[in-house]
Amino acid sequence: MSSHESTEQNGSASHDWPDRYHHIDQVLDKPGPRTDPGFAPGAEVKTFLRDTCKILVIGAGGLGCEILANLALTGFKDIHVIDMDTIDISNLNRQFLFRPKDVGNPKAIVAADYIMKRVPGVVVTPYYGKIQDKDDDYYLQFNLVICGLDSVEARRWINATLVNLVDPENPESLKPLIDGGTEGFKGQSRVILPTVTSCYECSLDMLNKPTAFPICTIANTPRLPEHCIEWASVLEWPKVHGEKKMDTDDPEHIGWLYSVAAARAKEFKIEGVTWSLTQGVVKNIIPAIASTNAIIAASCCNEAFKIATSSAAYLNNYFMLIGTDGVYSFTFEHERRPECPVCGGESVDISISREWTVERLIEMLVEKQDIQIKKPSLSTPDKQIYLQAPPQLEAATRPNLEKKVSDLVPEGGEITITASSLPFSLSLKIQYR
Amino acid sequence: MHDSESQDIETATTVLESQPDSKTRRYDRQLRLWAASGQRALENSRVLLLSGSATSASILKNLVLPGIGHFTILDDSLVTPRDAGNNFFLEGDSSIGKPRAEEVVRLLLELNDQVEGKADLRNVKNVVEEDPEYIKSFTLVIAHNLDLELLRKLSNLLWGSETDPALMVVSSAGFMAEFSIQFYEHCVMESHSDAVPSLRMDKPFSSLLEYTDGLDFQSMDPTDHSHLPYVVILVRALQTWKQSHDGSPPKSYAEKQEFKQHVLDMRLKLDEENFEEAEAQAYRCAIATTVPSEISSLFSHPALSAPLTPTSPPFFLLLAALKKFTEQPPHVLPLTSTLPDMRADTKNYIHLQKLYKKQADDEKTAFKGYLKEVLGGEEGVVEDAMVDTFVKNVHQLKILKGKKWGALDKEKTLLAQELSNAPNHASTHLAMSALLHYHAQSPDTDPTLEQLRTVAHSLVGQDVQLPEEFDVVAGEIARTPTAELPNTAAFLGGMVAQEAIKMITKQYVPITGYCVIDLVETSTAIVG
Ligand SMILES: [Zn+2]
Repeated sequence: MSSHESTEQNGSASHDWPDRYHHIDQVLDKPGPRTDPGFAPGAEVKTFLRDTCKILVIGAGGLGCEILANLALTGFKDIHVIDMDTIDISNLNRQFLFRPKDVGNPKAIVAADYIMKRVPGVVVTPYYGKIQDKDDDYYLQFNLVICGLDSVEARRWINATLVNLVDPENPESLKPLIDGGTEGFKGQSRVILPTVTSCYECSLDMLNKPTAFPICTIANTPRLPEHCIEWASVLEWPKVHGEKKMDTDDPEHIGWLYSVAAARAKEFKIEGVTWSLTQGVVKNIIPAIASTNAIIAASCCNEAFKIATSSAAYLNNYFMLIGTDGVYSFTFEHERRPECPVCGGESVDISISREWTVERLIEMLVEKQDIQIKKPSLSTPDKQIYLQAPPQLEAATRPNLEKKVSDLVPEGGEITITASSLPFSLSLKIQYR
Repeated sequence: MHDSESQDIETATTVLESQPDSKTRRYDRQLRLWAASGQRALENSRVLLLSGSATSASILKNLVLPGIGHFTILDDSLVTPRDAGNNFFLEGDSSIGKPRAEEVVRLLLELNDQVEGKADLRNVKNVVEEDPEYIKSFTLVIAHNLDLELLRKLSNLLWGSETDPALMVVSSAGFMAEFSIQFYEHCVMESHSDAVPSLRMDKPFSSLLEYTDGLDFQSMDPTDHSHLPYVVILVRALQTWKQSHDGSPPKSYAEKQEFKQHVLDMRLKLDEENFEEAEAQAYRCAIATTVPSEISSLFSHPALSAPLTPTSPPFFLLLAALKKFTEQPPHVLPLTSTLPDMRADTKNYIHLQKLYKKQADDEKTAFKGYLKEVLGGEEGVVEDAMVDTFVKNVHQLKILKGKKWGALDKEKTLLAQELSNAPNHASTHLAMSALLHYHAQSPDTDPTLEQLRTVAHSLVGQDVQLPEEFDVVAGEIARTPTAELPNTAAFLGGMVAQEAIKMITKQYVPITGYCVIDLVETSTAIVG
């Protein structure tokens, strides 16, 4: 079949020159051995892809730029993109929709303009801001969501939001979420069908633990250049600058941290404090290259295309890539976690000492690999144990931090954990050991 | 100290750098992976792309962004409406009818003004046949979806000598793809592997032993005791263990457990975390520091038995020096100068670090002596920076043996073996090969699954039964034998560029064999 036919059927497709989709149409005109029998090749699927389907891209950075270009070429024509960042010079080694003249401008807007200029007939609607600014109705308008973010917090938020959106009465409310992430030569992509497959929160324990330096090492026994840099940023900055917030994008601030760290390093005869290391430590810089982003973004867009068109089976449900020693990849089904606070609903059993204070319990919630809730608020069905906000309730509940959990919660009792950054709650069932 | 990596303490801490220049800032996120040396190699490289397809453009995009020196696209075709629909480095329908190489080069160059790019509008076949030296003048040659006859010629051309550029052959059809790299041999100093260098706790060098012997564990201040670095604890623990075990280190499982307890028994208080750390590291004492077999096996490389001269490849000069070094007692690799972090107070740690640095420097000097011997007394043949890199990474050296492109398809037994080992992935390779061979016979027609089966049988042997997986992947290829899907092109663009960067920088470890890609089940694997 020639794509010319479908062009004529698609009223809005005025930009579609004959043969434009010659390559793509080969998979849309004919099923393959692994195509669902329900797939109806031909005009209908093309019309859906090119005229109806609405897709949201979260992040217009390393993965986002690639994702937008791939989607546009595959025939998605109604693309929305959200990103709260502006362009930095260090983005230019991989974020290929940006040029030196764009430094300082919003990524979402520059990327959208570029795609529309390059790929005729594609409409990209940018939003320069936070995903949290948007409500359920906004997210309900999309057929699919692709996420190319570097922030764990933001991913947890969108994941929980899309899970909460699912209304069993309304199949349209289930929005497939495709998530990609990279770090150096490593990356992963995955397909999340909220409430059906394992979700982002289910796999929280797979994240690498960030290296944390004990405060006593930083203060008393520094050995590495990193210890000196942490000393400058964690201890010296607030001491010298008081309330003034440190801006890790401000070269003057980095310069100050660098010189303070270097002076401390000299005092202790520690070698290796450099500008680059200082920036790496305080910004928690993760190496990033164009090639890994290209692979992972392509994989995400490929899943989006297969889900949107049913032209082939899609990933079930996790693809992991390590490119340092040859090419190693692993495709597997990540299992749901029954006690996942987002999609599982069962309470998490934890066993703690009778001596533990509320403060100690909070420390554990922040650190525990499968929980990782920063600034948690705690309550039981009949009382508030500790609330982070508003200030007057925080003050009122603060004395509880010193109290033993066992004095506040009976054996087998439940504590509900919430955090303002996360749109879900976690319930803990407490056992004492 | 002459080590360029570790500046002396005065310059490192009194002369402050200012904010890095804009080039360093631009490349910051990749310099953290391959450092200035890798970047220099990229900037000195010249890459030739055969065809300006969507896949070729995607590969180049991921090489232009990190800053290769030069690329040329050799392609005599004009942009078709089909090209304009699937290639991001064309400007939609306005590019139709223009020379494809010129359009793609122009738009790629917008990505990085440090990169030089050229469109060569000659016919690939003519150039391969009539101007082979031109093709050989590049660092790396990458071909996408070239026909069989041309690939054979190209692969023969670049298999003339060991100094010929590596050839990357990339093919794709719909959701299916594969690529491979043709090279004789590829030597890697900086493989960035997880291999941990020995700290020689079982064979302490004299200054380490002296330092440990000089410490009175029993009568020292308890605070100092709880800040002893684990290296010192373990050197001492192994010494005292050996005294009561006829001079032998812990051998059996039971002895190793006993040794751990021995370490813990040295504590003055139960909460000394440095001793817990020592217990966790105790297993390293039970492994005798020798030359790892992965390294000693490199010494049998033929290059070392042939006479070496100043013009021999530096890697082998260094390897020959290493062989001499390890032939002397204590029969170990040169010491690493990087001490891992450990629980300790600053004074003890920094002192220990100095001892390691000094010893590493001394051993490097000895190593340079052997290098001089290898070169019959001549000095300065190998750059100091390269000697430093070699010695620093000596525990993770790698020599990869490559194959000529298409070699697997000529070895029926091997191919059949691959099919039974990994029926799914080997079938993808076989089906991609079958498509290539089919098109050589019947250009401009599309194969059926049955026809692909027939060609596959002719490759692997009539008596070999094709696995059922073959029909699945070949069926997918028969569905879309000439489709170049944008997502597949982008995926390959990342994969091939990644391997190209590894080849050019000689850092990390590139693939040997075929990397097969199936974007229906979303998997990759290495075949052959
Ligand atoms: Zn979940």
